[in-house]
Amino acid sequence: MLVDRDIESDDVDTPEEDHSINNELAELTKYVEMITSTVRDMESPVTTTSDQLPQATAHLNDLAKLTEEGTHRVLALTEAIETNRGVMQMALEQLRKHLGSEHARDLEQLLEMVNADERRLTDIHVALSFQDLVAQRVAKLVTILNDVQHKLLKLVVVFGIKKKKDGTGGKDGGRGDEMLRQLEASQTTALEQDLVDDILSEFGRS
Amino acid sequence: MSMIDTSLKVLVVDDMSTMRRIVKNVLKQIGFSDMVEAENGQDALNKLKAADAGIGLVVSDWNMPVMQGIELLRAVRADSDLKHLPFLMVTAEAQKENIIEAVQAGVSNYVVKPFTAEALQEKLEKIFANLKTAKA
Repeated sequence: MLVDRDIESDDVDTPEEDHSINNELAELTKYVEMITSTVRDMESPVTTTSDQLPQATAHLNDLAKLTEEGTHRVLALTEAIETNRGVMQMALEQLRKHLGSEHARDLEQLLEMVNADERRLTDIHVALSFQDLVAQRVAKLVTILNDVQHKLLKLVVVFGIKKKKDGTGGKDGGRGDEMLRQLEASQTTALEQDLVDDILSEFGRS
Repeated sequence: MSMIDTSLKVLVVDDMSTMRRIVKNVLKQIGFSDMVEAENGQDALNKLKAADAGIGLVVSDWNMPVMQGIELLRAVRADSDLKHLPFLMVTAEAQKENIIEAVQAGVSNYVVKPFTAEALQEKLEKIFANLKTAKA
């Protein structure tokens, strides 16, 4: 390279060598300009993205909060229905005791319907557990986004595009990769209950 | 006839308030009436170790802040006063290594989210049947 040649050479440079060095310097200058231009081109998308990521994570957190609130609302309503259903069931059973056999048969049908609703209400409660799964995935996505933001900010600092703002950036560098791995694993290798049972039975726990 | 002892006090451990409420509703439908909640493993351990705790069954999530469900399980099994407690893990962590880790830590049974009320009841039946066999 240029520096090596300068060190190794004890002789006075000839006009040809001067010309060659000038050419190399010109090439180097062009290369530096190209890199500077590329870094300048990156400035807008990188800074915009690193600025947008906190907003994206805030929206994701809001999403988890909204589903949690909605789920509590549905749970409160179904619990109220269940309370009423329980009262109706008891009242019908009392009524059945005091009625003749003909009317008791009609009441029996009503009681069956009321009992069936108990199972349906439980199924609604259990179906609402989707919210927990949503919240867990959102939490993992937020960790991934924090990690991406942290890495983008590193780029910003390394290339001198823009000075890092105080308090920005992710705290836990490698957690995003781990969360991404977990999210991908949950889609590909998560086991259904029957397979879990098979494993449990191998250990005598089924 | 059900083997489940519904007179026991149940500790429901989950960081999500919705899940605690859902699990409690299902347990109520099964017949349990005495239930307490904890939002992480450490909170659960404090409640289990309280002098007047009287908890007879633990239903716990795995993935929680502060102390995870698997650490709670290990702490329970390492405590001479608590190690006998039936411990049901209800979790979305459904990788084979999770299940093996839980079994090795001494889990009584394992339910994968999203679960059904029948699955939860069936697992509790098995836990209590095993307890009865172990006592006999």
